[in-house]
Amino acid sequence: MLWILPALVLIGSLILYPVGYAIWLSFLDKHSFFPAERWVGLGNYLKIAWDVEFWDSLWKSVVYAAATTGLQLVLGVAAALVLHATFRGRTVIRALVLFPYMIPTIVAVIVWRWLLNETYGVVDHLLLRVGLVREPIVWLGVDHMMTSLIAVSVWQFTPFVIVSVLARLQTIPLELYEAARVDGAAPWARFRHITLPQLRAVLFIVVLLRSIWMFTKFDTVWLWGEGAGAGREIRTLPIYAYMRTFTYYQAGFGAALAVIMFLLLMAATLVYFRLYWREEEAVA
Amino acid sequence: MRRALVRTLVYAAALGLAAQAVLPLLWMLSTSLKPPREVFATPPTFVPAAPTLENFVRLLRDTAFLTYFWNSVAVAGLTVLLTMAVGALGAYSLTRFAFPARELVAKLILCTYMFAPIMIVIPVYILARRLGIVNTHTALVLSYASFCLPFSLWLLRAFFLSIPIELEEAAHVDGAGRGRAVLYIVLPLALPGLIATSIFTFTLAWNDYIFTRILIASDELKTLPVGVQDLFAAAVVDWGLVMAAGMLITIPALAFFMAVQRYLVAGWGTGGLKG
Repeated sequence: MLWILPALVLIGSLILYPVGYAIWLSFLDKHSFFPAERWVGLGNYLKIAWDVEFWDSLWKSVVYAAATTGLQLVLGVAAALVLHATFRGRTVIRALVLFPYMIPTIVAVIVWRWLLNETYGVVDHLLLRVGLVREPIVWLGVDHMMTSLIAVSVWQFTPFVIVSVLARLQTIPLELYEAARVDGAAPWARFRHITLPQLRAVLFIVVLLRSIWMFTKFDTVWLWGEGAGAGREIRTLPIYAYMRTFTYYQAGFGAALAVIMFLLLMAATLVYFRLYWREEEAVA
Repeated sequence: MRRALVRTLVYAAALGLAAQAVLPLLWMLSTSLKPPREVFATPPTFVPAAPTLENFVRLLRDTAFLTYFWNSVAVAGLTVLLTMAVGALGAYSLTRFAFPARELVAKLILCTYMFAPIMIVIPVYILARRLGIVNTHTALVLSYASFCLPFSLWLLRAFFLSIPIELEEAAHVDGAGRGRAVLYIVLPLALPGLIATSIFTFTLAWNDYIFTRILIASDELKTLPVGVQDLFAAAVVDWGLVMAAGMLITIPALAFFMAVQRYLVAGWGTGGLKG
């Protein structure tokens, strides 16, 4: 029994206590670094309800999380199906495909900022050369910043989906496919009626984790906007909470934003579990 | 005929997948080997015409890159050690003692995923200041370790469960105490699990940006992601230098990954690496 104590102490003091403290902070008007503090009750939350920037950043977060999760899911499943097929060099390609996920975020960001550079970037160069565009696209400009951020995030995080789905594909009994083939099922029908149902549980988890992680994503978004405010176009909720705390030094306000983010995730997760269970029952 | 077509398509798709993953990194390599003038050449040269190590020399000589590098190695290494020690003890007690903790741990993990780092980092900062460990690597190691712990407990527990308890009992009969039985029998058998967990822990600590940004103020204590971002934040970006830095951060991460990747899949199914 005693052996688990160190783990509990660490988790308690560096995760649970901070979370509790953040909730407490959200009821205070407090400077981020000075000790002075004042109880304001639900004041921060009321301010947030009327704060245009909050609603704007919430919308950006939803767009970012939905777009990146959706794309990762579709591309990840497709890629996993390809990598599940038998071909020479499969092991090597499976390992290579994981690279974007294994490199540090800072590297993914600098590489793509360089590839998408509007003057010297190789992407614009190729697009011009092929004739797809007439003028270089300013990927990091206001018009395309969210698009390019989504693209880079999908590039970086899709391997997680690929590996998770691939692991599950390998455990689907081959007899199921044999039987379907004997029954004359076409490839699409086999995918629709065998593969997809078998992937249900893993896709449930993958969508849950990916959307939580994309909704709370800080570093990729922050670094993509070059820090320091991260461009209004991609100011998602985590970025906004960070700015309130470290640019305006409103620790209480920032904490309230973080608490709202957490509550939204909790609510969404509960609804998601409900829906899944209802579907499960309908299927069973 | 149709079969051949399908095979070709699958192969093309697989090559495409490999290309999209690797070509951006090769472009980073190519840029890092170019002299400053060639970096900005239009049209760009894909293979450096006059490859040189100049960018790497400048990086190591003129910037604090090496300091950041060793800081990252130290912080990530210590985080792995601490998480392994605390996590293995905890996970072992979760399996070997009657303890209705399974559900609790699973819920705790899901919850920690929902606590965005941004929610935790301010209180951690305030706590660290009270303990007088702001601006130290201790603060970083402790934060990363506790962040990794719920998941590590979960993963290690699964591995410990697969080890038959009879083996341990045999050791007891032979007069070994519980400590020695764990050290010489359970841990070696759980090695794949320990390695899988250490990969996740190492990656988190090696890649983290936000905790270092907030907890570390002195330049000489910064880890790579923050240090390199500062290089990048200069008025005129020295792309050759930045790409060289990118290469030197990526190589250890990928080398470590390649060395242990066969253990990786073990951890993936159970919820995987946070990120």
